[in-house]
Amino acid sequence: MKERISALMDGELDDRSAAALIQALEHDREALESWRLYHLMGDAMRETRLLSQRFAARIGERLAAEPTVLAAAVAAPAEPRRRVALPIAASLAAVALVGWLAFAPQREAQAPQVAQLAAAPAKPAAQAKPPVLVIPLPSATSDYLLAHQGFSPRVSFQGMAPYVRTVSGEVQGARR
Amino acid sequence: MLARAAAALVALSAAGLAQAQSPEALGWLRRIHDATLKLSYTGTFVYQHGGRSESSRITRDAQRDIERLEVLDGVPREIVRTRDTVKCYLPASGVLKVEQRVDRGSAERSFPALLPERIGTLARHYEIELGEMRRIAGFDCQTVLLTPKDNLRYGYRLCADAKSGMLLKAVTFDAQGESVEQFMFTQLSIGGVTSAQVRPRHARRAWRVEDTKAAPARLSGWGLSAELPGFRKVIELKRRMGESRPVGQLVYSDGLAAVSVFIEPMDARREPVQTGVASLGAIHIYTREVANHMVTVVGETPAASVQRIGNAVEYQRPSQ
Repeated sequence: MKERISALMDGELDDRSAAALIQALEHDREALESWRLYHLMGDAMRETRLLSQRFAARIGERLAAEPTVLAAAVAAPAEPRRRVALPIAASLAAVALVGWLAFAPQREAQAPQVAQLAAAPAKPAAQAKPPVLVIPLPSATSDYLLAHQGFSPRVSFQGMAPYVRTVSGEVQGARR
Repeated sequence: MLARAAAALVALSAAGLAQAQSPEALGWLRRIHDATLKLSYTGTFVYQHGGRSESSRITRDAQRDIERLEVLDGVPREIVRTRDTVKCYLPASGVLKVEQRVDRGSAERSFPALLPERIGTLARHYEIELGEMRRIAGFDCQTVLLTPKDNLRYGYRLCADAKSGMLLKAVTFDAQGESVEQFMFTQLSIGGVTSAQVRPRHARRAWRVEDTKAAPARLSGWGLSAELPGFRKVIELKRRMGESRPVGQLVYSDGLAAVSVFIEPMDARREPVQTGVASLGAIHIYTREVANHMVTVVGETPAASVQRIGNAVEYQRPSQ
């Protein structure tokens, strides 16, 4: 089981096996604990916790954009409501979905934190501003960055290293 | 949950080390600043954000004041910065973007936007303290932490060589203590840089040159209805962008993070403006339409900050 969890984390399972394992994680407390432990180990080794950050941020953003579900999750984090919440999360990467499921078995203990996670990004939204749409990088991103970068005081601490954003693969990919 | 626990842990350890605004920590920022200006070096660093990473080689010749950055992964890309220009070579498209370095008046003639005597003012918006010693790329490094006092800006963890003050690693972190991007040298040698090492590799070929022709100018009628706390207007200019379209630029900064507001007439565009936020590492880009102009706000701040600035952009027809 542990080997399969590790393989899932490394993206080595095919879709069918991955789906089966994710389902198994929902019921197998011990396996779920391993899953959490492996991620903790991975996070510790990476030091930067980049992966976890995306989990929390993306789920948070999606929840912020779903006021109805958000209210339901805060008011009554009960089983049927959670089922409603899942399809919304389903459009996220499969791995983020797993991150969500990982909360499930310890619902009692986790519920307040899930609510907190949802409530945090929702605060600005509550101040009468609708959630802002996340859009792809504009095609002129490299021009904007090149124009902007020179005025960033960071250059004083870091030389031109931050200019790498101007020509990063992602930005070049944004060009049409 | 783990992230939350980790953030709490980071906060806890930071609190344990707290020696807020020690003159020592400010002294370290000055050392990093001086090293950036005065050292010649060549090394490889990794830029990491959102699970992606990219290696680049950076070389600085302090004597001639030339710096060259070359991306090592994927399509070749190169940027060379001299006293007067920043040239960005994109061989795949045959485009050479030339950014003139803007003279901001005699007081701030030399380029580095942050003057050493201003470093102390950063303490208004950040808790600045020394952290632990760390070993990076073979160098024993001192950590300097800049933790923001509000959620309008990111925090920074800087690790600098204890001997030279050279910055080996810079992590930008958000309010939860999570890294949003980081730069880290994996190899670095200080001194002994030759002029050949900073010469652009792609200089000799036919390029389609895009010159920005940037110059300070007043953008009459444009401004913010409310400024973002701590962010002051640094400069106002007009420039050309891409294939020569005219763009106005307003720059705001808190002394460490900067936000640019780009304003361009809509006539040049055929598609309507899509309001929203895009992100790249610590950079957020917010786009909206104001008075038949496209306004694009670009800054190394949390999304909410670029949004707040973007939503405050207004045009008031100048009287007469």
